Amino acid sequence: MHLKFHLIALLLLAGTVQAQNYKFGKVSKEEVQETEHPTNKEADAAILYKKQSTFYDYNSSTGFALITKYHYRIKLYNEDGFDWATVNLNAHVSGSDDEKIYGIKGYTYNLEGDELVEEKLRKDEIFDEEVSKYRKAVKFTMPSLKAGSVIEYEYEKSSPFLTSLDDTELQTTIPIKKIEVKVEIPEFFGFVSHYNQLASLFVPVEQKNEPFNMHAQNTNYLQKVYSIESENIPALKEEVYVDYLDNYAARIKWELQYTKFPNQPMDYFSHSWDDVSKSIYDEGGYATELRKSNFFQDDIDALLAEAQNPEEKMVLIYNFVKSKIAWNDYIGYTAENGIRKAYKEGTGNTGDINLLLTAMLRYAGLQAYPVLLSTKSNGVPVFPTRSGFNYVIVGVQLGEQTVLLDATDKNAAPGELPDRARNWQGRIIKDDGSSDWVYLLPTYHSSKLEYLNFQITEDLKIKGKRTGVYNRLAAKNYRDKYRGINEESYIEILQDGKGDILILDLTKENEHQIGSDIKEVYQFEINNGIEAIGDKLYINPLLFLAEDENPFKAEERTYPIYLNYPAKYGSTVNIMVPEGYKVESLPESTMVNMNEDGANFKYIISQSANFLRIESSIELNKAIYAASDYEYLKNFFDEIVSKHSEAIVLSKIEDKNESTELSEGR
Amino acid sequence: MKSFLLSIMLLSGILCFSQESYQSIILKKELTEHANAVLRDENILIEIEDVDKMIVTTKRVVTVLNKYGDRYVRAYDFYDDGDAKIKSQLAYVYDKMGNEIKKYKQRDFKDQSAVGSSNLYSDNRVSYLDYSPMSYPYTVVYESEVQTSSTVFIQPFHPVDGYYVSVESGKYQLKNPNHIPLRYLETNLDSIQLKKNNTEFELSYEVSNIPAYKYEPYSPQISEMTPKVKVALNRFNLMGVEGRANNWKEFGKWQYENLIKGRDELYAPTKAEISELVKGVESDYEKAKLIYEYMQGKTRYISVQLGIGGWEPILATEVDRVGYGDCKGLTNYMKALLASQGIQSNYAVVYAGDEQKDIDPEFASMQGNHVILNVPGIAENDVWLECTSQSLPFNYLGDFTDNRHVLLIKEDGGEIVKTPNYECAINLEETLCEIVLSEDTFTATIKKESKGIPYGNNYHIQEQKDKDKNLYYKEVLGNLQGIHFDDLKFENDKEQARFSEELVFSGKKFHTNAGNRILLPLNFIEPEIDMVSRNENRIYPIEILRGFTNKYQFNFKIPEGYAVEALPEAISIDTDFGSFKLSVKESEEDPGTLVVKRSLSVNQGHWPADKFEDFRAFLNKINMLSNQKAVLVKNG
Repeated sequence: MHLKFHLIALLLLAGTVQAQNYKFGKVSKEEVQETEHPTNKEADAAILYKKQSTFYDYNSSTGFALITKYHYRIKLYNEDGFDWATVNLNAHVSGSDDEKIYGIKGYTYNLEGDELVEEKLRKDEIFDEEVSKYRKAVKFTMPSLKAGSVIEYEYEKSSPFLTSLDDTELQTTIPIKKIEVKVEIPEFFGFVSHYNQLASLFVPVEQKNEPFNMHAQNTNYLQKVYSIESENIPALKEEVYVDYLDNYAARIKWELQYTKFPNQPMDYFSHSWDDVSKSIYDEGGYATELRKSNFFQDDIDALLAEAQNPEEKMVLIYNFVKSKIAWNDYIGYTAENGIRKAYKEGTGNTGDINLLLTAMLRYAGLQAYPVLLSTKSNGVPVFPTRSGFNYVIVGVQLGEQTVLLDATDKNAAPGELPDRARNWQGRIIKDDGSSDWVYLLPTYHSSKLEYLNFQITEDLKIKGKRTGVYNRLAAKNYRDKYRGINEESYIEILQDGKGDILILDLTKENEHQIGSDIKEVYQFEINNGIEAIGDKLYINPLLFLAEDENPFKAEERTYPIYLNYPAKYGSTVNIMVPEGYKVESLPESTMVNMNEDGANFKYIISQSANFLRIESSIELNKAIYAASDYEYLKNFFDEIVSKHSEAIVLSKIEDKNESTELSEGR
Repeated sequence: MKSFLLSIMLLSGILCFSQESYQSIILKKELTEHANAVLRDENILIEIEDVDKMIVTTKRVVTVLNKYGDRYVRAYDFYDDGDAKIKSQLAYVYDKMGNEIKKYKQRDFKDQSAVGSSNLYSDNRVSYLDYSPMSYPYTVVYESEVQTSSTVFIQPFHPVDGYYVSVESGKYQLKNPNHIPLRYLETNLDSIQLKKNNTEFELSYEVSNIPAYKYEPYSPQISEMTPKVKVALNRFNLMGVEGRANNWKEFGKWQYENLIKGRDELYAPTKAEISELVKGVESDYEKAKLIYEYMQGKTRYISVQLGIGGWEPILATEVDRVGYGDCKGLTNYMKALLASQGIQSNYAVVYAGDEQKDIDPEFASMQGNHVILNVPGIAENDVWLECTSQSLPFNYLGDFTDNRHVLLIKEDGGEIVKTPNYECAINLEETLCEIVLSEDTFTATIKKESKGIPYGNNYHIQEQKDKDKNLYYKEVLGNLQGIHFDDLKFENDKEQARFSEELVFSGKKFHTNAGNRILLPLNFIEPEIDMVSRNENRIYPIEILRGFTNKYQFNFKIPEGYAVEALPEAISIDTDFGSFKLSVKESEEDPGTLVVKRSLSVNQGHWPADKFEDFRAFLNKINMLSNQKAVLVKNG
């Protein structure tokens, strides 16, 4: 009976969806009445309708303008969804050219009793803000919100930047019920569309040619029309250990390959990765920048006076650039200030710094090349587009090996990149204009190895020494976090979460020697690390080195698991059994391999006379694990946590002689 | 004339540079000890030219010792369209040897809108030095001149503005040629090297060699311990609105007359709607409650700060129409709604935040960063309403605005009163857990009830998405492995401000094995208090702002085939700081079940620094005793 009722209700609902009117202002009562999203009950809000229409408008006096009209209808199921009613629209500014946002209209729809009422967004509730030299913003928030409100707004954006089309966004963190997109591009602009390959969702795009109307002119031009019409687009899921969630959204990127205006020759941009690389090389001014050397020659000559081999030269120049020029936090693949000015002023963007480094390395006779890449927040360049890149580093050919350098990061050694630049692959550009892929994720392991030696005092305290050795990216991580911190604050950080501990005599080696392993040693005393129950002592031998929580808590996984770099975590513990006690029981040694060689865990415990030795090693052999590995990885950590929680039991020896016999008997 | 003066000032500035050395390597040890930055020289000159004209000239020299010190450079100034203008800005950067490496003229400063993430819009802008340090230490000399008409705010003398920054030299001068009457209040000046030269109308302070303050847990707010001189004029201006006041009564009166009065009108239909809402309800208390819930359902928090709007609430009729406002607008709206039913209430200015910062009862000036509503006379004690929340219960403030002095702005003047204190016994969490253990897994039910401050911290969880609830509890119960929730139930009793959670879940092995024994940690849920590091040289007093009581009972059903071998002894500790009790028994009526009862109560209070070791011992004991284990042994 009930089931039948639901079925009918569902059919009715489906009926109303069919009949939905998506014209601006035609919000229906049913839309306001809906209390939850039909398929995603967790959604705080949903885009009921999104319409985007992009086209080139020709005006005989002002020429072309790139116009985009947007229309959004958004359902707010509850208060948490209200964020979607506050809108922040950005517009680029470049010198005297700027994008303009206008024609904003908005209404909020609520039910009062049985009646649909609307509240208008007023002009004085719309704010223009000059955010910075490069950015303006238009902001507003919709009036009269209630749980259940439907808001609707539309606006237009006009851009003088004709050759760059914004990405067409097809998916976001809330569900979209219906989306309609139309992008019309006249034949003068040779754009191609690229669908984001990392998205798990595919939205079909229809393409056709139509006449392009240039108003008063009656020449017959064509335009390409891309249309998308889709329904029920699911929300993006939020998960931990994701490089950048937005990378997984369905979207279209637009790449300009050429322009061809009437009575003018064709202007090519790019077709292939080689073209993209070459066009950046040519237009980014690489050729000229990289040839400049007169302003640094003397300095480099002096610097390299004693240098013996190419590798030594590379390191000297790399460190020299890092010490001379500070990164101004701006990224880009072109030299914003020009490398000469950057050198003189001691500051520059990524382009300035890394192109200067390339020029200096070349001057010193090394084979150094720019490597274009995309930072994590810029997405993954999986198809040839110039805007797919936004950053440049340096690749140095040393024999068979390509060493990657980024002089914007003070804590990076050769071969180590900052997190922002470790994004899949980059494009290395050779002098002849040819280019090739280089893998940016580290393939080598970075390790953190810790050693504990401790003994148990008569009053059941633990006293010992801890040594930590950090290597490669683990050392870089350490420096990023703690380099320069004052000792007291650092000791507090060290003591945090380790129980009733006192840390003394902290020493650090190589903290400032970038590229060298960091060695950190301290003495410690723990007051409550031992459980004495009856005549037995219970100790967790790994003390504070134990992994006591599984980092993976969610039950399912959609996106790859991003762990930054292949890593090895080793813990070696030596314990002296206190006088008057013998070993009653020990945890068992064990070995766990995840998916053959994806990851492995070893736990080995051994005893010789009254010394116990515990070795635990966790190796994670990949920087990125596939979503399908999630279950294995989760179980793998469960095993580690469980093993790491096991205790050693010591018991009091009643009679000294008896115990000697016993141990001899073994 | 003016430009001549300016050039003299610049000249003397340059002379100044060549005389002083900004080498960082010669800094005294006492100043670099646990410091991330050293304020080498700060020179603030405040010239009150008139009630509506003030010029602040700043020279600030900071040596930054490491990256954590970057934020103390503070080479920026705020300005806006009408009120505050930056007349000049200049900065020099020196390396550690004292060589000048960079110079910034005013046009080299970056300009940006100062809209914070919590604001939709504000007309404040900031002009700041954007310098990327190449190496440490480095020194920045910043000079600026700002002119403003709002003399209601006078920059205080407050040389130490954070932990881990020391002061080599700080000067503060206030010139007042027109002899506008002023007041000032000094705090924490006793223990520092100080030169002072004050007259009735002008001030001059000079401090030197103040070592860096180091953070210590459970200590008072740093702002309560550092030297400070607050200053206010008795005749002042706020964005064109003039005023006179020399105590809270007058200052409140001025605010009432100029910022609040007349902004709480409502249109007739709204009044009618409210009348309809409370129709038939007798008591004002019940009426106020209905109106509060109505207001919560209708509004949300959005902040827009424009001109004087940064200080006065938007009209109640506006809030009524758009359904949003900032704390001022929403509080004023609530006040208007109550007034429509003849219930009188007071706009109350407060410093929000869990640190319980007071509006200084002794010093009347523009203070506070938040507004709440005080409703007297409808219950035994005053009722307090937080008007920016859509979900808090009626008359519940929580740790955002509890137990602190606030300013009531009333028609007949200002009045300082204190908001309610949530005492130790009120802040109660009670937890009952039934745990069934097997060899490799366990199942458990947790029932928990929160009241008082914990209510406000916990009740949000019910509104989270299922996935987030799961993750939240997995974090909270981080000591349990592989847990999977079968059921999560909540009950939010807003009437009593009591929140109940019921969790049913299973997990992987909770105990550890040791040969044929089981070690069973009795700490199924860890106590909600962290241990503190040893500190033999504790400097600051101990402060616990809010006491609390936690009661737990864990009933462990032990696995088949095991018997109890050893149990920790019952213990009860009573100290100045609080008390702790723990008992473990095998149940008589239900053999095979261990009953663990644990209670912890921590007192609100202040204790001298020399009690720190006792305090630490108390916290450590709680932790150690909670962490004890029962030993079970396999039968036969």
